[in-house]
Amino acid sequence: MSNIIEFKNVNKEFKLSLKEKGVWGAIKGLFKRKHKIIKALQDVSFNIEEGDIVGYIGPNGAGKSTTIKIMSGILNPTSGQCQVNGFTPWKERKKYVKNIGVVFGQRSQLWWDVPVRDSFELLKDIYKIPNEEFEETYKLLNNALKIDELLDRPLRQLSLGQKMKCELAGALLHRPKILFLDEPTIGLDAVTKLAVREFVKYINKVWKTTIILTTHDMNDIDALTNKVILIGKGQILYNGSFDYLKNKYGNEKTINVEFAKEYRKVQLQGYQVVSHEKNVAIFKNLPQTIFHTQEFLQQISKKYEIIDFSVNSLSVDEILAKLYKEYEL
Amino acid sequence: MLYRKYLKMHIKSSFEYRLNTLFIAFSQTLITIGELLVVYLMFQRFDSVGNWGFYEALLMFGIVMTAFPIVECFFRGYDEFASLVKSGEVDRFLVRPVSIHYQILGSKIELSKIGRILVGIISSVIAIANLHISWSISKVIVLIASYICGICFVLGVFVIGAGISIYTIENLEFVNIFTYGSKQLANYPINIYNKWLTRLFTFVLPVACFNYLPLSYIMEIGSMPSWLYAISPLLGMLFVIPCFLFFNLSLKKYQSTGT
Repeated sequence: MSNIIEFKNVNKEFKLSLKEKGVWGAIKGLFKRKHKIIKALQDVSFNIEEGDIVGYIGPNGAGKSTTIKIMSGILNPTSGQCQVNGFTPWKERKKYVKNIGVVFGQRSQLWWDVPVRDSFELLKDIYKIPNEEFEETYKLLNNALKIDELLDRPLRQLSLGQKMKCELAGALLHRPKILFLDEPTIGLDAVTKLAVREFVKYINKVWKTTIILTTHDMNDIDALTNKVILIGKGQILYNGSFDYLKNKYGNEKTINVEFAKEYRKVQLQGYQVVSHEKNVAIFKNLPQTIFHTQEFLQQISKKYEIIDFSVNSLSVDEILAKLYKEYEL
Repeated sequence: MLYRKYLKMHIKSSFEYRLNTLFIAFSQTLITIGELLVVYLMFQRFDSVGNWGFYEALLMFGIVMTAFPIVECFFRGYDEFASLVKSGEVDRFLVRPVSIHYQILGSKIELSKIGRILVGIISSVIAIANLHISWSISKVIVLIASYICGICFVLGVFVIGAGISIYTIENLEFVNIFTYGSKQLANYPINIYNKWLTRLFTFVLPVACFNYLPLSYIMEIGSMPSWLYAISPLLGMLFVIPCFLFFNLSLKKYQSTGT
């Protein structure tokens, strides 16, 4: 497969003017402004293949939105090269954006006060979509999202979940080759989240749409893709499979053990005792110990009499928290 | 056409708040009539202001009061551009395959200004009916050009304000000095003010180009050659060009906001 997105040594700096406090500061500010340069992206390079779903992850303020904005032609980088679908986004904006769809989870792309149907009609004109194609696309989107009954209501009357469904449909009416999703599941309930994920997968399958999504919900990543790019403090820290990250950091287990009686002290080779109170203890495997249920049971039952035990792996969120910590983000 | 759809949508959404829209339209019409009354009372007191009679002044008032609300109605997006930047709407414009200016035009259409436009037009009609003008085709053209020049002027000032707000992301009150200040000024023939003010509002902010200069041509008065008066509104229209250039240049520096 060929690369549809190529980022090469992209830098983005923002000039932030510092405001001094008080009236005098404001007056001084009129004549002499102090500036602070913020490096939002530093030497960012990556490629994304056509037809892929890629998760773009990182803590708040890492540069995720800046990258998306550069990719979608809203911002131009301070330096570096960026080719998306054969275009330099910010240079050939009008031609380029015909082939992309953008959904900002926290901002609506549709019109607030008019029925969703009118917004769609307007988008149809904006993208110059022929009638037949529009009907066909809408039918397909409606089959997947079930938005028919929402069309006659103004956007402001819809729930967050309903809104997101309409946003997704609106961003896809022109069948873009690339879809940017900036936190698409933010604030959604469990059912809608699942529906959104299903839909994203479906679109990727039927149209081979390349999808780049940023999210803080690692279950989104888990459900949608195995390819992640991790960004922190404006730099790419990891670009590869999500499974690798999970294996690397997911080895850590916590084991809750209930004993038949109260031991004064419990100890187990290869494990660290996290807590011990009365007849319950929590163990954690040391980094060099690879947890194996049978071996663990044999080892512990030799020394102690146990009633029950349970094993917990790190959740995806905890893995990520660990990862951020390791990279000091 | 896309603009018709935009217009339809704004009509629809003002129908969603029809009482509100009507109330605003009504109160703004009243305010405009109030301003008209001020001009009227002034001429009750003094028969003429700087050799200009009431109906001449009424025509100038009519031009300003037509041009201003037309811009405020149909080009509102430039006036409120700062809020479009703040709300992220500009990002939305930039990911669509349509010129940003077209989308700004479509983003805000303030239908409640219609009442004011009507007051402006009616004032003009009354003034023209009462002024004894020997009409010719060139005079009609100059008059129409004056209206267009007025529209270009107000639009230009709004566009400059919009360009500045790309840097500041705040709506700038000082821009209002130019918009509303020059509107107040333009209610009267500019040449009654002092020399410097007259120059400022002729050559820098071309208010005179849709005010006393074309009127001097239509009324066949003034000391300069008449063709100079005649082309003044055309020259005044050019004001809008650097304004748009400035805006486009500023847009290149656009930084967007937040997530």
